[in-house]
Amino acid sequence: MSFHRTCDGIGRRDFLRAGAAGGAGLTLASYLKMTEAGEVRSGAKAKSAIFVNLNGGPSHMDMFDMKPEAPDEYRGEFSPIQTNLPGVQISEHLPRIATCMDKFTLLRGVTHSVAAHQLGTEYVNTGNRPLPSLEFPGYGAVISRELQGSPELPQFVAIPNSAQRPGYLGVRYAPMNTTATPQIGTPFRVRGMSLGGGLTIEEVEKRSNLLSQLDNTFGDFEKQNQLLEGLDSFGQQAHTMITSTKAREAFDISHEKPEFADTFGRNGFGGSCLLALRLVEAGVRFVTVSNGGWDTHNDNWNLLKTRQLPSFDSAISALFNGLAERGLLESTIVFVTGEFGRTPRINKERNGRDHYPRNMFMLLAGGGVRGGQVLGESDETGSMPKHDGYSPDDVAATFYHALGIDHTTEYHTTSGRPVMIVRDGHVIPEVFV
Amino acid sequence: MKLLDSFSCSALMTLLIFARACTVYSQENPTSADDATREVTSEAPALESELRMSVAERFRSLEAISETPDFQRHVVPLMGKLGCNGRACHGSFQGRGGFRLSLFGYDFQTDHDELHGRLDPTAPAESLILQKPLMQIQHEGGRRLDEGSWEHHLILKWVEAQAPARSTNPDRLIRLELSPPEVVANNEGEQQQLRAIAVWSDGSSEDVTALCRFQSNDEQVATISQDGLVTVGSAGDTHIVAFYDSAVIPVPVMRPVSPMNGESYPEVQTPSRIDELVVGKLKKLGIVQSEVCSDEDFLRRVSLDVTGTLPTPNEVKTFLADTDSDKRTRKIDELLERPGYAAWWTTRLCDFTGNSDDQLNNVTPVRAEASRQWYDWIEKRVASNTPYDDIVEGIVMAVSRNPGESYEEYCQNLSTLYHQGSGVRFADRTYMPHYWSRQNFQTSEDRVIGFAYTFLGSRIQCAQCHKHPFDQWTQEDFQKFEGFFKGTQGRGNNPHPTAKKEYDQMLAGLEGTEGLKGNQLLNQFQKLLKEGKTVPFGEVYALTPSKGARADKSAEKSQENPRRNRSPVPTTARLLGGHDIDLTQYDDIRRPLMDWLRSPDNPLFAKAFVNRVWANYFHRGIVNPSDDLNLANPPVNAELLDYLAKGFVEHEFDMKWLHREILNSRTYQLTWVPNETNQHDTRNFSRAVPRRIPAEVAWDIVTQSLANTSKNEELITSVKDRAIHISGSGTRNRGRSPADYAMTVFGRSVRESNCDCDRSEEPSLLQTIFVRNDGQVLQLIDDKNGWLAEVAARYGLTFRPMAPTESDRGSEQRARAAKKRSEEQLAALRKRLNAAQEAGNKTQVEQLKDQIKKLREKAAADGIAMMEEGVAMMEDGVAKMEMESDSGSDTAVDAVVAVTTISGAAAVEKVSLPDGWNSEELVREAYLRTLSRSPRPEELATATQFIAEANNPVDGLRSVLWALVNTKEFIVNH
Repeated sequence: MSFHRTCDGIGRRDFLRAGAAGGAGLTLASYLKMTEAGEVRSGAKAKSAIFVNLNGGPSHMDMFDMKPEAPDEYRGEFSPIQTNLPGVQISEHLPRIATCMDKFTLLRGVTHSVAAHQLGTEYVNTGNRPLPSLEFPGYGAVISRELQGSPELPQFVAIPNSAQRPGYLGVRYAPMNTTATPQIGTPFRVRGMSLGGGLTIEEVEKRSNLLSQLDNTFGDFEKQNQLLEGLDSFGQQAHTMITSTKAREAFDISHEKPEFADTFGRNGFGGSCLLALRLVEAGVRFVTVSNGGWDTHNDNWNLLKTRQLPSFDSAISALFNGLAERGLLESTIVFVTGEFGRTPRINKERNGRDHYPRNMFMLLAGGGVRGGQVLGESDETGSMPKHDGYSPDDVAATFYHALGIDHTTEYHTTSGRPVMIVRDGHVIPEVFV
Repeated sequence: MKLLDSFSCSALMTLLIFARACTVYSQENPTSADDATREVTSEAPALESELRMSVAERFRSLEAISETPDFQRHVVPLMGKLGCNGRACHGSFQGRGGFRLSLFGYDFQTDHDELHGRLDPTAPAESLILQKPLMQIQHEGGRRLDEGSWEHHLILKWVEAQAPARSTNPDRLIRLELSPPEVVANNEGEQQQLRAIAVWSDGSSEDVTALCRFQSNDEQVATISQDGLVTVGSAGDTHIVAFYDSAVIPVPVMRPVSPMNGESYPEVQTPSRIDELVVGKLKKLGIVQSEVCSDEDFLRRVSLDVTGTLPTPNEVKTFLADTDSDKRTRKIDELLERPGYAAWWTTRLCDFTGNSDDQLNNVTPVRAEASRQWYDWIEKRVASNTPYDDIVEGIVMAVSRNPGESYEEYCQNLSTLYHQGSGVRFADRTYMPHYWSRQNFQTSEDRVIGFAYTFLGSRIQCAQCHKHPFDQWTQEDFQKFEGFFKGTQGRGNNPHPTAKKEYDQMLAGLEGTEGLKGNQLLNQFQKLLKEGKTVPFGEVYALTPSKGARADKSAEKSQENPRRNRSPVPTTARLLGGHDIDLTQYDDIRRPLMDWLRSPDNPLFAKAFVNRVWANYFHRGIVNPSDDLNLANPPVNAELLDYLAKGFVEHEFDMKWLHREILNSRTYQLTWVPNETNQHDTRNFSRAVPRRIPAEVAWDIVTQSLANTSKNEELITSVKDRAIHISGSGTRNRGRSPADYAMTVFGRSVRESNCDCDRSEEPSLLQTIFVRNDGQVLQLIDDKNGWLAEVAARYGLTFRPMAPTESDRGSEQRARAAKKRSEEQLAALRKRLNAAQEAGNKTQVEQLKDQIKKLREKAAADGIAMMEEGVAMMEDGVAKMEMESDSGSDTAVDAVVAVTTISGAAAVEKVSLPDGWNSEELVREAYLRTLSRSPRPEELATATQFIAEANNPVDGLRSVLWALVNTKEFIVNH
């Protein structure tokens, strides 16, 4: 394992701020020692993960990477505010997040070159730059394959759907899509997982008994046939999930106490994050939350301050605080990202910002990630990383690492081609405590 | 045919027998290995006396060596064998330790240059390329060479001779001969030494066993040492593959699974040529085929396979009652005439050709129209049984204009397609150009990869960057082949350069188009087309090689400014395994490509298709995966594949001939029930292997089996609204069809990545949950046009649906909103009621109670589930309810519980069986419409008893129906 990013000794430069957690940063040497001793891998703390996808590309310049000193054509109309991390400022429209900076690592200067929504989204959802000839599996698919979860629950849930497809791993690792966005305070049910139309558990049990009595055409032959055996075990698991109150209750966010639920914000994003928390609490391994509206080519500041940022601020801060409050933050890694940033130079004609992958931000929290630090840095205008910057591949490798998954593991595609989980990434050791 | 001269098929097929050896030409196609052994040509066989012995002998003793090793023949293969140029080592694109070799070694120049930097000519033994693998100095890759070994000597001698490069005019490897040609062993642990002889174009031959890389395709059946010693393991069959230079040679290895093999094989029926060939292989393996399947199994299987549709209950009965001995053949003929056949095979051809909405964005002015046109164009031809090669020609040679069509006519004709009620069909046009317009088919590299996938069933992509590890193709082969794909302008909204003026004129005459570009212009076109206007269209057209650039009127200009006007079209290109072709003599440089495809000697075109058809009818292809024809992945039965491919060509690519040939074989009609000899066989077609039904068909048969009688029968003759009639596919533009969710969970092909594996036939948890409990399926069971409703009506029973009334996301949201509104109204009324009660205003209390009651009744009537609770609560008075519903969320939770209780309570009243109700008969019908067979006695008893015990016979029958569509038997084809 090599760490190109730190070979030239710049590793420590990224320790911009020693946050609330304090202490000296992890040096390359000590990290390598840990790796050799196998401590890093066995030390993986995250058992589950939440991936928040901000579709459209959130404006780094107006959220986490503000440049108040930059010229007018870059700066934007928002002012920065001080956070609970000394010396670190973020947008005035993220006041709640400003008070919980101790919960996460803020990555600035993440950079890539894919400026199209679809491909950029595929990139940040797989950790691999998209190729036309191969569909890479999303994080959730890999994690459902690598980690075991509760049989009563789906491994991988997407709220309401996800860009993370199973790719070459196959349909079996596809997410269960909720297809709808939950609203705080309203009962929530998921396709196929709820009992509707007056169907009772008793009825379902009766039906299932009947099914098992009638479903024995293949008899003992089933054990010799992978397909039939698979269908049989999926049948049992489906039955468990459908009749399990655990699954249904986990999905129904209206079970949550209103005073807790309301902190997430009474909107779709808040409901989604609350659901993600409940699912992880119940034992689901991987949850994605998709939230749109970030493609602010027009009317950027108005949209951000009235529509995007208030819900983002409450949902994400409540998610971090809620996980911490319930003791889940240690075992849950949260990854928040869009597919790219937005042009630092303002599009005056439309009063907006356009697609910009050269410099963006990402958030990582929990699961052993050091809270209260900023890694990476962008230049004076927020146009480029000041030094090498991080690639989405690096962040992906780091994300897997937190979950105890070696990103260099090779899978074989159906055509027998060997492909590493993340082909081009390197773990960012400074992310971890 | 000028094409064939240049392709030199005769040379390609030249094969000979050498001693006891299997002689396989190194560039032989992947599927004729077995045939090869039988052919003898006039070419002189290599003589043992001229044969150079193995390098392992020649380089054993350092003192005795007088020769210099050859870079291509010895050094590079040895480094391949030692693993130096493997992917994990120096073959990696990043190299290792600053040293990079070409992956799998066929870039002799680069490799030589790289190695040269690691030599010490003055002190050869101190060269890095020796010290590292000998571990005399630190080497991350560990010890690769043993001191004093022949390998060590070979490299040392090469360095001592100043490391000569490959000669400028190198000899070609003519063939690699493997002996024995086939290994058949009777016992585990038996061993057989393989011997590999390389024959070069200078006539020399050499034993290269020690320089070959070997692999076993199934280590359970046979393993092979790197010295070429085969050790046979468990019973079964596989191939050992030898790699040397560009040659890849498979050697079959077999160990019979039973003593009933060869002479002692029982007398079995082989009514067709296919059966003879399949059994021919099984005989060697001691495997006996299963019995022929029952008529019920046959009818269900063949109906699903050919038409993607279940037989109707009546069709099953009629077929069973038919006593004619040729009824199966007649049924096959009948099915091949149904629209389901055309729809299903069009779907498959759209899979192979890559008809994807995502990739066709903006190709037509109307969204998703391109994929519909693509589908319809193929469907018309499949329905009329147009020869396969003609369909392919209409795609491969496609330009947008019909022959003789002027640009103006073209725009008029195409515009008419979009005019309402014009009745003009895209399917009637000569070509289907959208194949060339896909976003992922624009660079010549992508085109080579996509073309090889679609028409050659091969994965050539490896050769894009390095020597193909499993095939003979080198990077040079790939690049030369690419030439054919550089002359087609496929994308954009541009007309042919000669029509640019007309395009601009047309555009100028159209209102509202000024200043518009891209999407916005297309939107405007769409609007204008709706108004019946004619708009200009972009087109797919062919460019000629630079010599013919005058066709673009740019010859003069190109002399002025050669750089700017240089045609991207090369003057020569090379067919795979053929010679260079002069492209300047063609108006459309794809012509030689098309001629090559349909030539009877094409090694892959016919095979790729027959193999895919076979894979549709069995659980695997004769070559598997079905799109991976390569030398290292030989067919399990080469004679069988050859027979079908040859027959297909001889019958002028008649697809129905191919279908009939396969479907009428005994092998297709075998039962899945195994016998002792074939229970573990899944390779050699000795029995039917259950397959999960493909996505489109799965959804269609769920629909069909739950539909009422007339709808059920209608689906036999119509494919309207069927999933097998969905045209495009893709992951990015979902949400158009109600079947979308089912398509996703069952794994319809996404047609994205040039792989048959874009379609999934794996089971998954989501699929099972979907059929068991998704609102969409439950609703179909209770649909007013469903069979259950029909039965209820037949016996005058009240029909009480159990499924959610609507299930899609939108309706859930609407329902939620409606519920919220009702809740708010209710809360307001209750507040007022409270106040009225406190104030003691009896009249107002009564009025408000009445209003509340009405609100609840209305909600109940609207099917708002939560409100049912309210209805029940009414009887207990308002006060109690108020107590229970302090907070909105709690009310909702209670509501679910309350509903449960109510339906449980309501169900207590048992409805007796109506007159004429016959449970047994209904169960039989349910079986026929789902499993296409009659229930066995114990099943009949179980199901009728279940109905008898149900409180309402319709509820009982519903559960039986539900259970049947959830059986494994339902969702697999068996």
